[in-house]
Amino acid sequence: MVPSRPWLHGFLDLCLLAMLGERSDYGYGLSQRLAASGVADVPGGTLYPALLRLEQQGLVEPRWASSESGPRRKYYDLTAAGRAALADQGADWRRFRDGIDALVSASVGASVEGERR
Amino acid sequence: MSPDDWPARFEAELLRLGQHPARARALADETAQQAVESGTGPDRLFGPAHLYARHLVSELNDVPPGPAGGGPPAPGRVLLRLRDVGKRYRRRVVLSGVDLTVRAGEVAAVVGANGCGKSTLLRICAGLTRPSSGAVERTHRVGLVPQDGGTADWLTAAEHFTLFGAAAGMAPRRARSAGEHLAARLAWRPAAGQPAQELSGGTRQKLNLVLGELGSPDLLLLDEPYQGFDEGTYLDFWRQVAAWRDAGRAVVVVTHLLHDLRDVDQVLDLGSRPGGRVAAVAR
Repeated sequence: MVPSRPWLHGFLDLCLLAMLGERSDYGYGLSQRLAASGVADVPGGTLYPALLRLEQQGLVEPRWASSESGPRRKYYDLTAAGRAALADQGADWRRFRDGIDALVSASVGASVEGERR
Repeated sequence: MSPDDWPARFEAELLRLGQHPARARALADETAQQAVESGTGPDRLFGPAHLYARHLVSELNDVPPGPAGGGPPAPGRVLLRLRDVGKRYRRRVVLSGVDLTVRAGEVAAVVGANGCGKSTLLRICAGLTRPSSGAVERTHRVGLVPQDGGTADWLTAAEHFTLFGAAAGMAPRRARSAGEHLAARLAWRPAAGQPAQELSGGTRQKLNLVLGELGSPDLLLLDEPYQGFDEGTYLDFWRQVAAWRDAGRAVVVVTHLLHDLRDVDQVLDLGSRPGGRVAAVAR
C-alpha cells in the first residue's frame, strides 16, 4: 500500500536524511530509491522543495558532480547537524511506530476475541 | 506551453514574490537542472511555472530557524489600505469610518451580521464600488471571488479559464493548464464539455475560486467563497488560504463562521446593524 500524502509529509525529511546517511545521492536517484523501497512515488514538486529545505536548515550539503552520461548533478551529503537530526527523528519514528503497532495489534487481538464469542 | 520559457517565467514569478535576484536565478537554474535529471520537461515535473514558484516560496518560508539562519519574515508591504471609508446610498448609511490595512502575508477576516455592508466593503476593496468618503489604496493585481454569480451558465470550465486568463494576459493553453492545476487542489477535475449550469453549487464555487486566483493576484478578496462545500473541500479551502499567505499574498475573506477566525491575522467587525460601530481586533 502506498501511504496517502499527509502521512508521507511528516516523514519525507526523515526518509531523505536516512537515505543520504547511507550514501550521498542526487534528487532523481533519491526519488527512485523511495519508489523502489515501496514508501511512495514522490512527485518532483514535493521532493525538490524538501531537499532545498534540508539544505537551508544546514542538514545536508550540496556538491555538484559530473555524470558519465549527460549533465552535471547536484549530490547531497549529510552534515554533522544532519546526522544529529537523523538520530533524533529516527528515535521519534521508532517510538511512533511501536505505539501504532501496539494499538493495531491490540485491536486485532480484540476482534479475534469478538469472533470467538 | 513551450518548455523553453518555463524557467524564465518561474524566475520572473520568484522575483515578483520578493526573492533576491541572485537567489531567483540560482533557483531557476537548479529547477531546470532537476527537470533534466528527471528526463522530463519542467512543466510536466512541476506544473505551471508561477504556481510552482509560489509553492516553493511557501515551502521555504516554513523553515524553522536553523544553523543556516532564518527567523520570522519581516512584515510585508501594504497591499490594501482603507482610511475612514464610508458608503451611503441616498440617506442610508451602509458603512462609516472603516479603517483596514492588509500587508503581504496577512489574512484579514471581515465579519458582521447580514446587511451590515460586508459585501459592499469587499466591492470597495476591489474597486468595483466607489466609497462615498475616505481613501482606498490597493495593489494592481487583485482577484475577487464573489459570493455567487461571476460565472456564465453556458461556458465550460475550460472556456472560463481561457476567458479569465485572457483578461490577465495569459495565453489560452497556459490559462487552461493553470486552471486545471488550481482545480485539482480543491479536489476537482473539470469534465470536458460540461457547461457551468450543470455544475453543483459547491463545484461552481470552486470554479469561482479558481477564476479569482488564475492571474496570480497579490491581493485576494473572497466573499464567503465556500457555500455548498463539503467538510473536506472546506478544509482544502482554508489550507489554500494558508498557502497564499505563506507565499506572501494578502487575503481578505468575508465570513460568518467563527470557526474560520482561528487562523486569521486580524478581524474587522462591522457590527450588528447597518452603519454600526467598527472595531478592528488584532489576533
